[in-house]
Amino acid sequence: MTEPLLRLDGVRYRYPGATSDALQGVSLAIAPREFHAVLGPNGSGKTTLVRVALGSLTPLVGRADIDRRPASMWSRQDLAKLVGVVPQREDNLFPQRVRETVLLGRYPHLSLWGRERAEDHDAVDRALRACDAAHLADRWLWTLSGGEYQRVRVARALAQEPKLLVLDEPGMSLDLKHEMGLFELVLGLVREQGLGVLMITHDLNLAARFADSLLLLEAGRPVAAGAPNDVLTQQTVETVFSWPVAMQTVDGRPQMIPLRQPKESRA
Amino acid sequence: MLRRLSVVVLVLFACHTSARRHENPPAQRIVSLLPSFTELLFAIGAGDRVVGRTQWCDYPPAALSIPSVGDGLPPNIEAVMARRPDLVVLYNAGPNVTAAKQLERAGIQTVLIDVNRLEDLGPATRTLGRLTGREEQAESLAIALDSLAGRPPPPATTSLAFVVWDNPPIIIGHGSYLDQLATQAGARNVFGDIAAPSAQVSLETIVARDPQWIAVLSDSAVPPAFAKRREWRAVRAVRAGHFLLLPGSLFGRPGPRSGNAIQQLRLRLNRNGVGAQHAAPLHGTPSR
Amino acid sequence: MKWTLLAIVAVLAVALSVVLGPAAVPLGELLRSDIVWNLRAPRALLAFLVGGSLGVAGAGLQALVRNPLADPFLLGLSGGAGLGAVIAIALHLSGPWALPIAAFIGALAALGLVYRLGLIGGASLDPRILLLGGVAIGAFAAAITTAIVSLADAAELRNAFLWLWGGLSGASWDSVLLVALYAPIPLVVLLAASRPLDLLALGEESAQYLGADVERVKRRVYLAASLLTAVAVAVSGVIGFVGLVVPHMARLTWGHRHRSLLPAAFLGGGALLAFADTLARTVVAPRELPVGVVTALIGVPVFAFLLKRWTIA
Repeated sequence: MTEPLLRLDGVRYRYPGATSDALQGVSLAIAPREFHAVLGPNGSGKTTLVRVALGSLTPLVGRADIDRRPASMWSRQDLAKLVGVVPQREDNLFPQRVRETVLLGRYPHLSLWGRERAEDHDAVDRALRACDAAHLADRWLWTLSGGEYQRVRVARALAQEPKLLVLDEPGMSLDLKHEMGLFELVLGLVREQGLGVLMITHDLNLAARFADSLLLLEAGRPVAAGAPNDVLTQQTVETVFSWPVAMQTVDGRPQMIPLRQPKESRA
Repeated sequence: MLRRLSVVVLVLFACHTSARRHENPPAQRIVSLLPSFTELLFAIGAGDRVVGRTQWCDYPPAALSIPSVGDGLPPNIEAVMARRPDLVVLYNAGPNVTAAKQLERAGIQTVLIDVNRLEDLGPATRTLGRLTGREEQAESLAIALDSLAGRPPPPATTSLAFVVWDNPPIIIGHGSYLDQLATQAGARNVFGDIAAPSAQVSLETIVARDPQWIAVLSDSAVPPAFAKRREWRAVRAVRAGHFLLLPGSLFGRPGPRSGNAIQQLRLRLNRNGVGAQHAAPLHGTPSR
Repeated sequence: MKWTLLAIVAVLAVALSVVLGPAAVPLGELLRSDIVWNLRAPRALLAFLVGGSLGVAGAGLQALVRNPLADPFLLGLSGGAGLGAVIAIALHLSGPWALPIAAFIGALAALGLVYRLGLIGGASLDPRILLLGGVAIGAFAAAITTAIVSLADAAELRNAFLWLWGGLSGASWDSVLLVALYAPIPLVVLLAASRPLDLLALGEESAQYLGADVERVKRRVYLAASLLTAVAVAVSGVIGFVGLVVPHMARLTWGHRHRSLLPAAFLGGGALLAFADTLARTVVAPRELPVGVVTALIGVPVFAFLLKRWTIA
């Protein structure tokens, strides 16, 4: 087992002024070639986990390490050479072309006054190809569909040439075809390029189909962690999500089907 | 029939004029809202009837013992009314028109008088004379002021520019009383071609027109601060220290002392460039 | 190539500023003319430096507050400068540099207040509060200024407002030297922040994940842009629209990469102000227009045109 790229050990975190912990007793280890997904209902602490893991927040208890060093000790620039992040929201202020925005991913590698080199442009091309977005290179961002824009954002993170890729709810607001495409893309990056992936997602079923390991959170606490089959049992899902489901297996992975629920029989 | 008609007309006319005289008895409690008017009122012998003045009204010395009603810009209505005037004299300009209306509504007679240039002084004096019942005294002063205004200016023996502000440079143009002062004193205003009373100009224009004197309304004996600024030293008169420092009280207001002001100015100009208030030439010349 | 063209435009604007003016100086006598050497040349250079500084400050600020409508004078600096100047006059402070120094101190005071306000949410500088705080402090300073003007010796102070409207009349080799020594530092700081500013356009979170030290960048950009604006106000009053419009004009041709946008904004801003000043001095000669009026008259139609392009995009 290779050395983990990202490791959380018994992390506890509470936001200043909050009455309860946002995270408690959370542990996680991601090595290269591993696809981890973090699941949980709204407010279960998924985004907080990412922030702690990446050093934006310092845990009150426990450790958050990137490549064996505490995450908060990393300089932003060095961290960006190792970890590529696709946050939930992006508010691009000015109109840009695809190639330009992906080039932003090379910035961690550029010196203060130095120009972009051939190798930077090559990295951009490679990233675009890996995300099947090479044909979009000269398009303006605002002309892209949601799915295409998402792939471009992943390409930008790839252009950083990271070892770890972090995606926060990347499938949100994507239609079926594009969401499937995105998950296939991420899995491909894990298998072919050897990246480690941490993905936060709402989509239990896709996470179960594609990820190697799941972490299920509820109110900041880890409920279950491990292989999808071990984590997504009917009982666990029903308890955590407060909804009756039926479970099926597809491709050897558990899939949950929510049942219809008249109001009276809620426990 | 015609005879009876003309008698009726004459009687009506007599009633009307006597009625008019009854409507406007001479003012006894006057508030003057401009130093020029204060001086004129004293000059026609109605100074003892002035019960309110602006803080700027400093001549004659007797005026200083009259209570002030503020700076008059715009007039402080309450302070004016506190003096219980039966006549308020205002300079005819924007904010004063509103103030005059307010005072009229309160039942106080007001009069708005133009006094921008020398030729306005005669009519202003006559108006004040009529309102105070001092027509005779006003007439003799008015005649003198009219002749002053009508006097053909002497040939210009020198040139000047009146500088009101330095950054940006603002000079006095033809529409101003100060321009008339200069002309009557034998100095050509190099900006006399600008019709407005004042205007902003480029410094290089001042340099190019090369006035022999820079006139400034100032009560100080020291040249103005801008004389030390490097860009102003491009003006020859500034380098040579040819400043005319003219106290505002005498030179800044049209009034009964205008003739005196013109004379004073002429004296200063004729002292061969070594006027009483002129400072020694400033050190150094601007380098290229 | 567009850079060559811009350089030519800049040189041309400065040259025109030296050659043209209300005082007729024949071409043959240009080199020997007192007016040209002592007045026009420093004024043209000062216009270029101030215009360039405002252009760069505007571009940096628009990226910082993530608002394309930001103008350097939205930060309350002009209000502070005006108040400083009016206090100096009301106190009858003498000395040829009294006004500029007082205006600069006033601008710095406003800067300090707005900065403090911007930190109100914690250690992170909030650009939205910077904007709102700037408007509030500016209005507050303007109110005090008006109160002083109405209470004190009115005539002189009213002329002070003319100064505030913007003018390069005070230009001399002294002021050129001052700005030439002072401006490069904040300019270099802004240029060094080019890449982080590109990243900031994606949002603070994304910028951070792409390697930008967001807090440091925000502080530096805010301070550098404000210091440039403060010196501009001190030597030439409030000249609006340059900082607002020039970055947008530059973006039309150079795009959003600040590495090329900032230098283009500098050259463009300098050229624009030099040109506007030439117009201010010549169109109503022998009178002169306040240059802030000319930049507004040029700026507004340009701005309307840009708005049209923006809404199409």
